[in-house]
Amino acid sequence: MGTLERASPGTGFRQGSAKAMEFRETLLSSIRTLRSHKMRSLLTMLGIVIGTGSLVSVMSLIAGLNSSVSAQFQSVGTDIISVSRYPWVQMGNSDAYKDRKHITLEDAAAVGRLRSVGMVAANIHTRRHIAHDGRVMKYTLVSGSTAEYEIIDNYLVEEGRFITDLDVERRRQSVVIGADVAGELFPVRDPLGKEVRVGGRRFTVVGILKSKGDIFGESLDDLVIIPITTFQKAYGSRRSVVIDCSPAEGVPIERTMDDIRQVMRTMTGIVGLALLVGGIGVMNVMLVSVAERTREIGVRKAIGARRGDITSQFLIESIILTGIGGAMGIAGGAGVALLVKAVTPLPAEVTVAAVALAAAFAVVTGVAFGVYPAHRAGRLRPIEALRYE
Amino acid sequence: MLIELRDMFKTYEVGTQQVHALRDISLSIEENEYVAIMGPSGSGKSTLMNIVGCLDTPTEGSYLLKGTEVAALDDDELAEIRSAEIGFVFQTFNLLPRMTAFQNVELPLIYGRAARHTRAERVWETMDAVGLRERAHHRPNELSGGQRQRVAIARALINRPSIILADEPTGNLDSVTGEEIMQVFRGLSDAGNTIILVTHEQYIAEHATRIVKLLDGRIASDTTT
Ligand SMILES: Nc1ncnc2c1ncn2[C@@H]1O[C@H](COP(=O)(O)OP(=O)(O)O)[C@@H](O)[C@H]1O
Ligand SMILES: [Mg+2]
Repeated sequence: MGTLERASPGTGFRQGSAKAMEFRETLLSSIRTLRSHKMRSLLTMLGIVIGTGSLVSVMSLIAGLNSSVSAQFQSVGTDIISVSRYPWVQMGNSDAYKDRKHITLEDAAAVGRLRSVGMVAANIHTRRHIAHDGRVMKYTLVSGSTAEYEIIDNYLVEEGRFITDLDVERRRQSVVIGADVAGELFPVRDPLGKEVRVGGRRFTVVGILKSKGDIFGESLDDLVIIPITTFQKAYGSRRSVVIDCSPAEGVPIERTMDDIRQVMRTMTGIVGLALLVGGIGVMNVMLVSVAERTREIGVRKAIGARRGDITSQFLIESIILTGIGGAMGIAGGAGVALLVKAVTPLPAEVTVAAVALAAAFAVVTGVAFGVYPAHRAGRLRPIEALRYE
Repeated sequence: MLIELRDMFKTYEVGTQQVHALRDISLSIEENEYVAIMGPSGSGKSTLMNIVGCLDTPTEGSYLLKGTEVAALDDDELAEIRSAEIGFVFQTFNLLPRMTAFQNVELPLIYGRAARHTRAERVWETMDAVGLRERAHHRPNELSGGQRQRVAIARALINRPSIILADEPTGNLDSVTGEEIMQVFRGLSDAGNTIILVTHEQYIAEHATRIVKLLDGRIASDTTT
């Protein structure tokens, strides 16, 4: 740019041409803009505060329970509550249960955290062929379960052991077989330690169940039980989980059921709503902000701002906003969760995951609604920006 | 030569239509000239100012600013020229509403990468030049139209540009205030600045030493008084 050096004196204060604007200047300029547009800044932040805040509080409250279910309850036997998507006996068409979102393992964990709940077992089932050494049992019930299932569903182990926590944790290919399966596939040999195929996949027999007899002419021993996590890995995690649980000692079963019902209801759409409210709020305000500032961008460019000057200013503005808003939201959300925990029977746990997710939400919002507009703002042609009304 | 336009065209595409805003403009302006550009609405005055001010580039032809071909420069290079060489004064002032007069005037220094310790002094000096020291910490909405335009002029002056461009600077002012603003330009011209000013009004144009008249995007007349 040598040819454009001013001939007249006094240009000494313009230093090196490729130099970036001092960060301090950009920062100050951003802060000044934010402070002088208090209402706009507040509105933008409000969206993020609400978004991250509801994320943290809801996630803490339900600690991962993300389904919105109106779960089916029934008392099985005297003191077991079963929570499932579908009732045991379905009447009319099954569309009635379509809207019930499936119950997940995390739901089971959340139910387990209820103070009024004693023991919890989760299980999922399907039917598969079971094979060993040329022998096949067709359409046998395959149940993916947790260790607690043994006690809750009253299984007695004849030989070997039941599924353990470690089986579940490690997703082991362990299988506990029912008496019918043992008799059919292993007429002479001891099944323990042998390999069977469940729907084509290899499992090692770790236990054999005592016979439970039959009910209404159907055998209760024609089944195999595998770790629930292994089940999900093998057959997919989309099946709705059935949660079986018992009330805590000394707690009436009705109270436990009320609590579970409340947990299940709390989830109804809250997470979705929070994300929607937060996201839309941020989007609206940011978009309005960029649009209404198009002219400002034009003016800044007309008086010498470069592309990068504009981009960094907008970027820093949204980083400051999402940063402050996100921090406020996380703190507020955690506060709400802990308050609810203190005054209601709902379990709450401010998890690292919740905080991380909320922070990620803030960052993503900043990126999605900050970086992109900032980039756009920087690229605006001055003449068009100035024309903008 | 400070400004040299040669066979310059500016054509806008509006849908399938072509709008020839400027046609075959050749114009040279020397340092310390005071040029008034006149012409009916839509004759291309603003388009010409925007190109001279490096806010826009010609569709065809050449624009040499101090010998540098501006049409060949990229966005950031144009921004640098605007920062160092051009001072804009708009009809609608275009001050940033949430900033004080002082901050508005300081902004071009920041974009020009002026060191911080030199800035305040420069701003005060320039505020004095337009007679606005007392109003420095007011926001634009606390200032009268004439005062706002003075702030805008100070902002245009602060980087000591080679050219001061004013697109109908008195268009939004009453005639008395307009006349005051013209006195400011007169002073700037006397101090050696190059000024190009767009106006409809003959009495405003008469402040200038040269009057260029546009008609349908062409130069209709170019007279030096
Ligand atoms: N960005 C644009 N897009 C399309 N047409 C434009 C644009 N800018 C100016 N024009 C047209 O170019 C012509 C000259 O406009 P302008 O330079 O603003 O005139 P003046 O300032 O003399 O009133 C007009 O016909 C106007 O409609
Ligand atoms: Mg015009």
